Amino acid sequence: MSNDATMATPAAGTDLGGAVSSGIGASVPAVDIPPKVEGTYPYASDLWAEGLLWAAVHRSPHAHARIIAIDTTAAEEMPGVRVVVTHEDVPGGSTHGRRIADRPVFAEDLVRHHGEPVAAVAADHPDTARLAAAAIAVEYEILDPVTDPQLAFSAEPLHPDGNLIRHIPLRFGDEAVTGEVVVEGVYRIGRQDPAPIGAEAGLAVPRPDGGVEIYTASTDPHADRDTAAACFGLEPERVKVVVTGVPGATGDREDRSMQLPLGLLALKTGCPVKHAAGREESFLGHAHRHPTLMRYRHHADATGKLVKVEAQILMDAGAYADSSADALAAAVSFACGPYVVPHAFVEGWAVRTNNPPAGHLRGEGAMQVCAAYEGQMDKLAAQLGLDPAELRMRNVMATGDLLPTGQTVTCPAPVAELLTAVREAPLPPLPKDLPQEEWLLPGGPEGAGEPESVRRGVGYGLGMVHMLGAEGADEVSTATVRVDGPVATVMCAAVDHGQGFSTLARQIVQEVLGVDEVNVAPIDTDQPPAGPATHGRHTWVSGGAVERAAKMVRTQLLQPLAQKFGMSAELLTIADGKITSYDGVLSTTVAEALDGKELWATAQCRPHPTEPLDETGQGDAFVGLAFCAVRAVVDVDVELGSVKVVEMAVAQDVGKVLNPRQLATRIEAGVTLGVGAALMENLRTQDGIVRHPDFAGYPLPTALDAPAIRIVKLIEERDVVAPFGAKPASAAPVVTSPAAVAAAVRAATGRPVGRLPIRPQAVIPQQ
Amino acid sequence: MLPSSLEEAAAALATTPAAVPVAGGTDLMASVNAGLLRPTALVGLGRISEIRGWHYQDGHALLGAGLTHARMGRPDFAALIPALAGAARAAGPPQIRNAGTLGGNIITGDRTGDALPALAALEADLIIVGPDGALRELPVSHLLGGVDMLRTGELIGFVRAPLLHAPQVFMKATGRTGPGRAIASVALVLDPARRGVRCAVGAVGPAPMRPLEAEQWVASLIEWDAGRRLAPEALQAFGEYVAASCIPDPEEGTLPAAAQHLRRTVAALARRALGRALS
Repeated sequence: MSNDATMATPAAGTDLGGAVSSGIGASVPAVDIPPKVEGTYPYASDLWAEGLLWAAVHRSPHAHARIIAIDTTAAEEMPGVRVVVTHEDVPGGSTHGRRIADRPVFAEDLVRHHGEPVAAVAADHPDTARLAAAAIAVEYEILDPVTDPQLAFSAEPLHPDGNLIRHIPLRFGDEAVTGEVVVEGVYRIGRQDPAPIGAEAGLAVPRPDGGVEIYTASTDPHADRDTAAACFGLEPERVKVVVTGVPGATGDREDRSMQLPLGLLALKTGCPVKHAAGREESFLGHAHRHPTLMRYRHHADATGKLVKVEAQILMDAGAYADSSADALAAAVSFACGPYVVPHAFVEGWAVRTNNPPAGHLRGEGAMQVCAAYEGQMDKLAAQLGLDPAELRMRNVMATGDLLPTGQTVTCPAPVAELLTAVREAPLPPLPKDLPQEEWLLPGGPEGAGEPESVRRGVGYGLGMVHMLGAEGADEVSTATVRVDGPVATVMCAAVDHGQGFSTLARQIVQEVLGVDEVNVAPIDTDQPPAGPATHGRHTWVSGGAVERAAKMVRTQLLQPLAQKFGMSAELLTIADGKITSYDGVLSTTVAEALDGKELWATAQCRPHPTEPLDETGQGDAFVGLAFCAVRAVVDVDVELGSVKVVEMAVAQDVGKVLNPRQLATRIEAGVTLGVGAALMENLRTQDGIVRHPDFAGYPLPTALDAPAIRIVKLIEERDVVAPFGAKPASAAPVVTSPAAVAAAVRAATGRPVGRLPIRPQAVIPQQ
Repeated sequence: MLPSSLEEAAAALATTPAAVPVAGGTDLMASVNAGLLRPTALVGLGRISEIRGWHYQDGHALLGAGLTHARMGRPDFAALIPALAGAARAAGPPQIRNAGTLGGNIITGDRTGDALPALAALEADLIIVGPDGALRELPVSHLLGGVDMLRTGELIGFVRAPLLHAPQVFMKATGRTGPGRAIASVALVLDPARRGVRCAVGAVGPAPMRPLEAEQWVASLIEWDAGRRLAPEALQAFGEYVAASCIPDPEEGTLPAAAQHLRRTVAALARRALGRALS
């Protein structure tokens, strides 16, 4: 089964949904679009409470230093300052962290990265708070920072937990085997920042019972609540996290370095406290993508069939562990890519340094290794004199093949079909074949580009990524569906950070219950947990929970009618607010069937369990996998080194299309994020100090940088274990696009291109 | 304060010397938002219509300091001073070009300011309005080079740029396709009346640089009365001459790799700019 969808952006949107107007498969527009466009969408930074105070955080100006003394007197004596808090004021557990609790709320004896929180202030004016935070006198003894992850192994421990966060020595097959052809390469990936469109912001309001409510753009409210409660020394019931407008996220939002001080300040002062981070604080405060250094050796036979892959993967986790252990597991497991590799030996390390902490960013781990193994495939093709796409075709995996972790790929894995689709897609015209007014050369309109210096390159990338949490993570989600009259309500703590879950939940209920008006309730931690909004989880587990709850309500609604009509409930259909029997003879309206009653049901969805990787990197660690093929077409100005991505052709394995327009948007967003990582996004540091934490120093792709994105094929092969058979779609293009861009630049310039983002110097052919 | 004439603006600055004049605010407000600047008062220049356009005087255009980049980018302006129009079109995304002004670009004096090499190549002068409404003139290069500064209460009223009636080119390299800060930029103007080529390189130093020897050398090669063409080798040599004079070899050792790349970039820009001007 496949769906040939030829959509070229930005002209997409005319006929994506076919005839359906609601329910599964319809191009229902996302519900938050109109308020966001009209400026009425309430972002977290718009929060207000009567008599609120403003917070400011004092952050470390050093990457590595010992704290000798903290003197808060000057700050406390400033008029308008209500309270100053430091590590001494944290009543509960003093460390927190996503997977490993190794991060203090406020630095105590050591600061381990630039921007680490040391103290916080609440004052009656934001400027007073900022000045007071600057007036906190911290005496530091500056220590040498460890900024090269390769030196972390031999350096003095930066943390009581040591410098090695995780080591996975994956062994699969026979180490003695060698290939007739061997290629080696070194690859480096830079530090991409999530750069959310809205910086971190929140409001903490104390409760009469001694608890606190935190209003913030959380993407994992229950985990945030538990962390906050532990740090405040409160029972979880007395802390409530209320999710307010999330202004977009490329993973989950690392807001805890702001939430925790806010809650503490509110508890101390008994007043509501607000904080809205500026862009610089945002860059310093949240986690980034892991800069990664990889060494690869690929062995193949004379026909290009892969024999063995040896790799070393070193991920720079920065000062704290965060989710680095998970990122490393993904990197090691997918180190060979979607190819059949009979023997694989991969050593992976995640190490601690004094660089900014790394954490979750869409496709973490998988994206870094994709750039490396695809670079190796290009090298191998060059060595063998083969077409790069042909070499890949000879090695692609399919359902039933093994990952190097020993796990059998049981889900659909249509990699060959995906590659064929992008290979066969028509190529975009060359600039010289277009009218001169339409030329868009590297350098942009009015730019310095000259046709004689521009070379075109075409490159391929194949990538894979896991969906849902891995290695035994409990991926449960709970949802409640209620029908009252003509209106249905969904209650599920799954945060919509732009992935479109609230629109999808609405479609699911429309599909199952035939009710047009569906409300999605606001989210807080009084609801049962739904888990973090990462790894496409919510489409799968929360979507599954919503569907199950809706079906239970449907049964409650139809059972009495079925008895009355004297037929099985399965023979009744609901559509447009009417219930009709299979033969159309008997019918009634939903309102009549409800008879003034309110029906509701709560259901859970929990996918099949996974297991951690063992000491040789073996284990069934993943619930599901998604695959993607990208063909990049680039123009490179070989004198100036500027690169223009002309077109990205994407073929993706999506299981089932639930909302065509939303799906296309997610793929386009993923490709653009990947193009950013390939060409420009890199948060630079010098000796651990973040340079240029602003959008002048950290460029993001604009509409002019973003390529035309052509979705050439969406393969709809149901994944039988997933609700609706759908695979989450956001991460796979992020993983694959950087590798494809690098391959295309290689083809255009003949340079090896081992480092992302690609620097202008690295694409100028050497004389 | 929102004066509606230059005179009123000068008076407002005289009475409140701590006030900061603001036009588009694209640089100033960014500094305010970043907490680098907390002006006690602002003098908004947006209502002064006399500096939002331009007029002519003795073969020169008197450009109002409040001309936006968007306005300078339009075809009618491009026909007058193509180098400045090119710089204005390359200066950032549309939102910035709609608000940012010529005067603001000069007074901010950022090394990557796009209008600056164009003004340096044009050898433009500033007309400064003093506190008592008195006018004085100041070459742009003197202000940018720190030779002369604005005094308290002064503001830029106009920029006087020559109308040369010959090809002019502005080019910048950003490494990307979308709007970005210049890695290097080159403005090049031909002055057929004086048989001169004037070229300025932006973004590689604190202020635009003029490779005077390279200009004179290449001007002597051009047959001004017959076709104004140059051989590709001459264009290439000009580019390298310009680049070497802006980024000279160090006294000892070799240039670091990044500087070598910058030099190649400047050479390519200067070669292409002259090629386009002579084509």
